[in-house]
Amino acid sequence: MPVSDVSREAIDRAVREVITAILPAVSPDAIVGNKHLRDLGADSVDRVEIILMLLDRLHLDEPMSSFSGLPDIDGLVAFLHERCR
Amino acid sequence: MTSSPVGIEALNVYCGLAQIPVEVLFAERGLNRDRLGNLMMNQRSVGFPFEDPITNAVNAAKPIVDALTPEQKERIEVLITATESGIDYSKSVASYVHRYLGLSRRCQFMEAKQACYAATGAVQMGVAYVASGISPGAKVLVIATDVTLADGRNQYIEPVVGPGAAALLLSDRPRILTVDFGAFGNYAFETLDSARPTPTEEVADVDGSLFAYLDCLKQAFLAYRDHVEGTDFATTFDFLAMHTPFAGLVKASHRKMMREFTRASPTEIEQDFTQRVFPSVVYARQVGNLGAASVYLGLASVIDEVKADTGYRVGLFSYGSGCCSEFYSGVIDQESTTALGEMQIGRHLAGRCELTFDQYEELLKDTLLCLVPRKEHDVEIGQWSAVLDRRSNPRPFLTLKRVRNYHREYEWV
Repeated sequence: MPVSDVSREAIDRAVREVITAILPAVSPDAIVGNKHLRDLGADSVDRVEIILMLLDRLHLDEPMSSFSGLPDIDGLVAFLHERCR
Repeated sequence: MTSSPVGIEALNVYCGLAQIPVEVLFAERGLNRDRLGNLMMNQRSVGFPFEDPITNAVNAAKPIVDALTPEQKERIEVLITATESGIDYSKSVASYVHRYLGLSRRCQFMEAKQACYAATGAVQMGVAYVASGISPGAKVLVIATDVTLADGRNQYIEPVVGPGAAALLLSDRPRILTVDFGAFGNYAFETLDSARPTPTEEVADVDGSLFAYLDCLKQAFLAYRDHVEGTDFATTFDFLAMHTPFAGLVKASHRKMMREFTRASPTEIEQDFTQRVFPSVVYARQVGNLGAASVYLGLASVIDEVKADTGYRVGLFSYGSGCCSEFYSGVIDQESTTALGEMQIGRHLAGRCELTFDQYEELLKDTLLCLVPRKEHDVEIGQWSAVLDRRSNPRPFLTLKRVRNYHREYEWV
């Protein structure tokens, strides 16, 4: 198994921090893996901003279209983890 | 090959006779008002049972054609309707438009389809036809025309779409926009982000569509930059007009591009949006996403808002789900302001009547069936005489009267 440059835990933490930054009204406890960003009240512009901030923070260059089919926050974390390898 | 400038000689948009405030739709549909801020939309246009893609197209183009001399009108050699609102698998919207505009029988016509992109593809083909010199002095008429099939099932899409059309006359007398010939970039790939699988149904993957739009904007711009050495997103274009699904997406797209291609601060990005992009969404915020006509409503908005006193370069981004996109550019100037001003678009938009939600719901029963093939159909126009009488401009106005054996019949009022 290849060793990831960024741990899954670090990506999970980054995702939570970015969601909280874009959606300050969302309680950290509400950010659970099986929820979609929509479930947290993120509209389409918020979702764009969350993904762009994550790409910037993780120094990734990934087409936005790669994110359209991800089912939930766990899926988002797993995808980013894969891309950070 | 002609050495003359080529581009858009005349431009007009038709955006319906009625509108409903976005806030009313949010309230009546139980949508989350917190989303209004990022949407940045105020009203959307609404169609009537006597309107369809053909009447919208003709009512947009009629003032342009009527302003031509008989000799100039005869030089319209190509008519292309661009639409995702076709009314027949074989017969084009253009065939009816050709008839009711009274165009020459030596003018070819056809229909182009690629969601909201097709008009720009048609414009580029038309510009190339004019520039090629195969028929010196020829004019090409491109009309982007669509209706919306959205209702409450479509949730947040319903408040931001509207019916309408944009007519563009292309020639070697570009009073509206002189196209930067050869300055363009395309980006396209197959995806099902939104579609119309049946005559009554819109399907959309919201994230899929918005994300594809954003990818296409970046990649089409990069392709443009490959064609035009030294292009800089922040300084090459005095103004930007983009396909506008809703104004908030245009703002988010501009923000993304500025982050990726400049070192501008968030404050500078906001100022840049206000200065270079906001003029293009002023009209869209009043009518909604017009489909194929959207980017040309944006161009009209720029020209009417800016009132250029010198030459300004406008970057245009066209996107159609499915998906195909293009970034190209052209120059507007004082003549653009004069030429577009003759169309009185702002007055047309302000003159639309405001509907109540109940009136809007009642209209949906008919307008949602606008594209359903019907062998026999009658439209009772009389009940809408008050709406027709209060039109801001007393130009001839085309209405759908009846359908007989699938043949649509129209009437001027």
